[in-house]
Amino acid sequence: MAIVELAPEAPVVAPAVGTWRALRAFLRNPAAVIATLFLLLVTLIAIAAPLIYPEDPLSMVARPFLWPGQNPKFPLGSDSLGRDVAAGLVWGARISLVIGIAAMALGVTIGIVVGATAGYFGGRIDDALVRLIEIFQTTPSFLMLVVLVAIAEPRVESITVAIALVTWPTIARLVRAEFRSLREKDFVTAARGLGYGHARIIFIEILPNALPPIIVTSSVIVASAILMESALSFMGLGDPNRISWGSMIGAGREMLRTAWYLTLIPGIAIVLTVLALNLIGDALNDALNPRLSAER
Amino acid sequence: MSLVRSTIAAAAALLFGLGATSPAADAQQPKHGGTLRFVMKYEPPTLSVLNNTSTTTTSPKIWDGLLTYDVDLKPLPMLATSWKVSPDGLEYTFNLREGVTFHDGKPFTSADVAFSILRLKAGHPRGRGTFANVTEVKTPDAKTAVVVLSKPSPYMMVALGPSESAMVPKHLFEGVDVAAPPGPPLHIGTGPFVLKEWVRGSHAVLERNPNYWDKPKPYLDRVIIRFMPDAAARAAAFEAGDLDLGGSAPVPLADLARYKNHPKLAVDTRSFAYTGAQHQIFFNLDTPVLKNKKVREAIAHALDLDAIVETVFYGQAKVSPSPISVALTTWYDPEVKARKFDPELAGKLLDEAGHPRAAGGMRFPVRLLINPFIDGRLAEFVRQSLRRVGIDATTQNLEFGAYVKNVYTDRSFDLTIESLTNVFDPTVGVQRGYWSKNFRVGLPFSNSANYSNPEVDRLLEAAAVEVDPAKRKQAFSQFQRLVHADVPSVDLISPLEIIIANKKIRNYARGAEGLGDNFSDVHFVD
Repeated sequence: MAIVELAPEAPVVAPAVGTWRALRAFLRNPAAVIATLFLLLVTLIAIAAPLIYPEDPLSMVARPFLWPGQNPKFPLGSDSLGRDVAAGLVWGARISLVIGIAAMALGVTIGIVVGATAGYFGGRIDDALVRLIEIFQTTPSFLMLVVLVAIAEPRVESITVAIALVTWPTIARLVRAEFRSLREKDFVTAARGLGYGHARIIFIEILPNALPPIIVTSSVIVASAILMESALSFMGLGDPNRISWGSMIGAGREMLRTAWYLTLIPGIAIVLTVLALNLIGDALNDALNPRLSAER
Repeated sequence: MSLVRSTIAAAAALLFGLGATSPAADAQQPKHGGTLRFVMKYEPPTLSVLNNTSTTTTSPKIWDGLLTYDVDLKPLPMLATSWKVSPDGLEYTFNLREGVTFHDGKPFTSADVAFSILRLKAGHPRGRGTFANVTEVKTPDAKTAVVVLSKPSPYMMVALGPSESAMVPKHLFEGVDVAAPPGPPLHIGTGPFVLKEWVRGSHAVLERNPNYWDKPKPYLDRVIIRFMPDAAARAAAFEAGDLDLGGSAPVPLADLARYKNHPKLAVDTRSFAYTGAQHQIFFNLDTPVLKNKKVREAIAHALDLDAIVETVFYGQAKVSPSPISVALTTWYDPEVKARKFDPELAGKLLDEAGHPRAAGGMRFPVRLLINPFIDGRLAEFVRQSLRRVGIDATTQNLEFGAYVKNVYTDRSFDLTIESLTNVFDPTVGVQRGYWSKNFRVGLPFSNSANYSNPEVDRLLEAAAVEVDPAKRKQAFSQFQRLVHADVPSVDLISPLEIIIANKKIRNYARGAEGLGDNFSDVHFVD
């Protein structure tokens, strides 16, 4: 840490060294590697969806209620209107990942801006922003999500924004706490002494040092955004013109007694994806927390 | 009721384990007591049928009608004990039952009849048509009401059941806004049950009315109406024994086979003359692309009605291609046939109409809505059928209030899948959707297409006052052919009525009104 005390630029160098160390730590975790590979596979499938199933996944192409394996053309069977379950799964991955990642990106951006401003400036600004965060945090998030989506028309864009609006307070609190402890550090004082502007200090000096916990939380937020979208679609509040894993479960639920595969297949997809994201989050937490890694 | 008939009915009841088909099923004195748990899919804003049509099964429990009907629509006495129609068909005299009181203790009189009929004429979506020719209701004395008409209204005599025309207390409803759904303090009628409590979002409890005029009825102590919008939840509740009765296919049709051999539950698929179920698509003729008849015809050719029956309704429906439902056997014209399912022809018609496929394969976008009382899979089916011929249809899931507002007030739709039931008579059930004078922004279940054809108007108006059934039938036939040619709507199917009932209850649907029965005769057997 001696270098850190000498020059403001130093901490930017330190994470670069730390990145390699963290990556090694991450790769030593077999669960994390498997989870990453799985997620990469899901991402690939999602990207390649138009190539694998060029037709609209909502179109009625088969006899209704084909069981998985009954017809090799439709390996995962068909639903009550004769839609291909496999095509739905592939295209559903797209919606789930797009909403998950976009909602996370938006939520994290809002969270960082609000949290950093509150933590860095302190005082009245901090008081005001903390009140704002508390208003959001004390409202049950899923209820707020349902209300937001019900007000706006349920479309992918509005669902993404609504999920971001209910997730940013978590990030904001985290960022605020990090900034509050980091802003008193010597390298920040040094940067101030050099006459750097607030924006530069916030984004170039402090933020990189506050990133590890944000990255960890972000992976978990992607997972919870996917779950939220599924829950909304399950309740019939999703975008009815797009297929998603949640809407597949919602549609299949009526036939749970007679055609349970319609619920099980997309259910497994959600479980595995969310589990993978959580495992990655855990591994990132271990890898990016130097003290914890050192103890191992 | 003859002894022989009731003995046969009782024997039939024993044989089939389901004695609900005849009012004569109770050979012995029915047992008093018990709570009936009745399920409704959606919670209406009021239980009263006074100014809406979504409460036809709840209202009769609290409010009586002047008459009720047997399964063949033969009028039976209810609040009117006898009636007389003048030879010119312009004066209906009803002699009212003595000693009937409202739940608040006030007597029921001819003033209430006069008030209710005029209120139905002003505010009920179908009553506006049924009672359109009523000029006044005379009340020569407290127990006589004389309905005076400007023109004959042959359908009026079948529209006076409690599920259609509720008799409400004048002293409470006077001064209440015609359009506002009556709240629980106004749930005061002469009916067999009294509203005890209503927990919004959950259930309503109706208690036995001990002063009901039809002693010793009602037999039940209590009716609990549960509101359960989720089909899977209703199915689970039926199987757990938490529900006794539900109509309009209360369980997912995909599961229906499971109930056919259920030890405690029965599936009842009788059809009732009062329902006339019909699902149809109405075009918003104010939408520029839909003004072109070729586009509307193309949409009709893009829909495979047999596939709708088989996949969306699991075979529990009939193709019903005419604006008058096949369920109305008297009036339906079998010459009106569905347009052939032919996506290629649809594409050709759209090309000719000047809407070639653009890059991406789509021609133009349309907003497709669906009445949320209908299975949403029908909207998905229609959407995908339209997309196949290049019409970029998008659906929206709206709750009932928002749906009605979107279609009938804001008119922010292009196509809507509606369930404009034909009820018991085309003048009452069908005319409202096609009569140009019934294009009334803000009135639910009116002429949503904004369809206007002077000849159709003339036929409808002629049929409405025609006393000769043969001439009336002819007018309705011409009407059906004209509307079918004009395509303001695509008529799709008529779903079967499906009731799930606890095998231990009797007499839940005695007459033409189906589950719009007042339940006064419902009782449990051991």
